[in-house]
Amino acid sequence: MNYDSAKRNKPAISHLFWWFLFANGGGLTALVLPVHILVQGVLGPLGVVHVVDRNYDTWISVLGNPIVKLYLLALISLAFFHFAHRLRYFLVDLGVPAARTLPAQVLFYGGAVVVTAVTIWVLLTTAPLSFG
Amino acid sequence: MKAPLEGDEAAASAGAAPRVYKPEMPRGWWLRRRHYFLYMVREFTAVPMALWLLWLLFEIHRAANGPKGYYPSASPAFIVFSVICLAFATYHSVTFLSLAGVIINLKLMGKRVPPRTIVAVMFGLWLVASVMIAAVLIGFAR
Repeated sequence: MNYDSAKRNKPAISHLFWWFLFANGGGLTALVLPVHILVQGVLGPLGVVHVVDRNYDTWISVLGNPIVKLYLLALISLAFFHFAHRLRYFLVDLGVPAARTLPAQVLFYGGAVVVTAVTIWVLLTTAPLSFG
Repeated sequence: MKAPLEGDEAAASAGAAPRVYKPEMPRGWWLRRRHYFLYMVREFTAVPMALWLLWLLFEIHRAANGPKGYYPSASPAFIVFSVICLAFATYHSVTFLSLAGVIINLKLMGKRVPPRTIVAVMFGLWLVASVMIAAVLIGFAR
């Protein structure tokens, strides 16, 4: 009993870490994703308004901005940690208990790590940062 | 009834694995009630949002090949795909930002900020962020 309560009082650091990524990914996508989809995915392609990504010159100059790069990295990376957590429990709810296991966790959160790495690579190879 | 219980207790004290309660969910449980269905829709929003962000990543990458290799997506299929993703993303925003009133417990001058105020602030932030991002995406275009 003592052992149990001691174990329960220990802060769950790993939970805190994954929950931080999950909650912030959820919050950031909630605040900014609909407007990206509306402007870049619907209004721009329809020609209702001019959008930066419709034209190579404006798109590449915006992508060269380090603040834009940081923003896109935070958005895509945090979003995928959120998605990983959601989809894992979505599968559990659909009746796939294997989604709770350690290999499933490695697969889903590992997938988010891979997307993060690919995003860093894409952002650094597209309109590379130049100092001077 | 009594005999198997004793047997289980004996097994437990002998160091055998404890019995674990496994709740059984019938297949398709989430189709039985509107509320369950909407919960599953909320969880599913991650899929279309992930697909759209992967498309965004691809469009960023396409600009790496120089002006000749760059062409922005404009097909009707892409627009339909975006409209579907937009519906799911908006549903995610509404549910996620509404939850903030339940999750965030904020005290201001010794008084608890009412959940309704927190949710209103969240929706206000959503509007401000949307206007700012639209201004950048449209304002820097030519």
